[in-house]
Amino acid sequence: MSGQASAAPLLELRQISRQFGGLQALSEVSFQVEQGEIFGLIGPNGAGKTTLFNLLSGVTPASNGTIHWRGQAMQGLSPDRHNRLGIARTFQNLRLFTGLSVLENVLVALHRQPQGGKLDALLNSSRFRRRQSELRERALQLLEELGLADQAHRQASGLAYGDRRRLEIARALATAPALLLLDEPAAGMNPREKEQLCELLAQLRQRHQLTLVVIEHHVPLLMQLCQRLAVLDFGRLIALGTPEQIQRDPRVIEAYLGGSR
Amino acid sequence: MIDNGLLVQMILGALLGLSVYLPMAAGQLSLATPAFYAVGGTLAALLSTQGNAQSAISLWAVLGEMLLAGCLTAGLALLVGLPVLRLRGIYLAIATIALVEIVRVAILNLPFTGGAAGIFGIPQPFQKPFGYVLFSGALLAVCGWLFQRLEASRLGRSMAAIRDDELASRCMGIHTTRVKLTAFLASAVLAGITGVIAAHYLNTWNARQGSFDVAITTLAFVILGGSRSWLGPVIGGLLLTALPELLRPVGDLRLVLFGLVILLGPVFFPQGLITPALLERLGRWKP
Repeated sequence: MSGQASAAPLLELRQISRQFGGLQALSEVSFQVEQGEIFGLIGPNGAGKTTLFNLLSGVTPASNGTIHWRGQAMQGLSPDRHNRLGIARTFQNLRLFTGLSVLENVLVALHRQPQGGKLDALLNSSRFRRRQSELRERALQLLEELGLADQAHRQASGLAYGDRRRLEIARALATAPALLLLDEPAAGMNPREKEQLCELLAQLRQRHQLTLVVIEHHVPLLMQLCQRLAVLDFGRLIALGTPEQIQRDPRVIEAYLGGSR
Repeated sequence: MIDNGLLVQMILGALLGLSVYLPMAAGQLSLATPAFYAVGGTLAALLSTQGNAQSAISLWAVLGEMLLAGCLTAGLALLVGLPVLRLRGIYLAIATIALVEIVRVAILNLPFTGGAAGIFGIPQPFQKPFGYVLFSGALLAVCGWLFQRLEASRLGRSMAAIRDDELASRCMGIHTTRVKLTAFLASAVLAGITGVIAAHYLNTWNARQGSFDVAITTLAFVILGGSRSWLGPVIGGLLLTALPELLRPVGDLRLVLFGLVILLGPVFFPQGLITPALLERLGRWKP
């Protein structure tokens, strides 16, 4: 294992395990995600995909093993520290700030940008107002990229399902991440929307220099989108490779179609 | 019907409503306001009745007491807030009720706080209630301005985000502990300095000033007024403090009517009197 920072992968999981009581949600999962990659994560329901995301975003700690970010171990760091390191995520069952407007959802996530000074905020100085309108511009631009600009002033709870999923992505992007974890971004979308989302994700990766890890049940979408895939089944990594390799892997076929266990 | 004396109490009610509102704006149901109110009031009562009893006190001395009360309550809030804010929802409420009880029992039993009778003859900075109206009214105006600025700033947005979804806020990189603690500290300081004014105005101070009843009453200010904008607790505090006095002509029935208002308010105005939709219609409050 090379110790050089430049040679280190963006994200590296080493023998990651997680138990919940007697349930082994993940056992000894290891893989690496390289800078700029679109990495897919598939597996049947209950395979441990979302648990893995919770570990990667600091929401739950690992029981065993370490996760390395740019070659550095991240242990016992809080979710907000994970985000500040450059890891942002979306949620499978949508966790938007429903009481806020679409624009405010993105503005909240722009909180690490310079705000124009505390005293200026207190006095509502022209410097502060200028800076805030720049932030609103930035938020609108992100909404524009995700096709939500015309709904900026609606309350987030009033959005259609697919739009909410896209707002989650806009909000995560606003924190300027290097790694974006997408938990079933296409869930509840129709085939056409899925197709558009696919193009959109590829664009976003280009424009924001992102690395993406995507959980998705819709396998054809991942096959088209990802350079590499990992397959989880009952908490174990059963396959890792390019979409072609994965498609031919007998263990994957067995996990998905069943077989003589 | 509303004389200056009642007006002072109404303004103090509005200030306490704002104190309860602050943690709530960050999604924290804290009922600790009466504890800090009692600490502020007791501090003012103790300091201003030291030495030879006077009947008057300079405004500067009162401002000094407010500064001290602010520091003391901030320190106490920091000490209590760090462990207590790890609790959520009803558990936080119970822990803060415990704090109110601890402070009340301490004030009742400490050797220098006058026991059940309390402290008497707290000197007055103003000869007439109107002085208090101006003073507390100015404080309320400053608070209103600060709250208006808060809601347009990053801290206010972070608080609103935590109120909606704390986990999502953390995953967006918001240091939620710091934001919640800031709101709790500000709430404590506001209650503490309100206690200082109240002690001088009431002329006497005892442990009952910061009881569980006050926690419920001040919570009702926010529930009835509305918890989505700082105007809600202000309106709630003003109205609900005035109501028992305005209902005095109907005798003891007033307590029943007061209870009915608190009971029926949330039924007819589930979001409180001041709602975001109402503010939208009024236009100029929201950017």
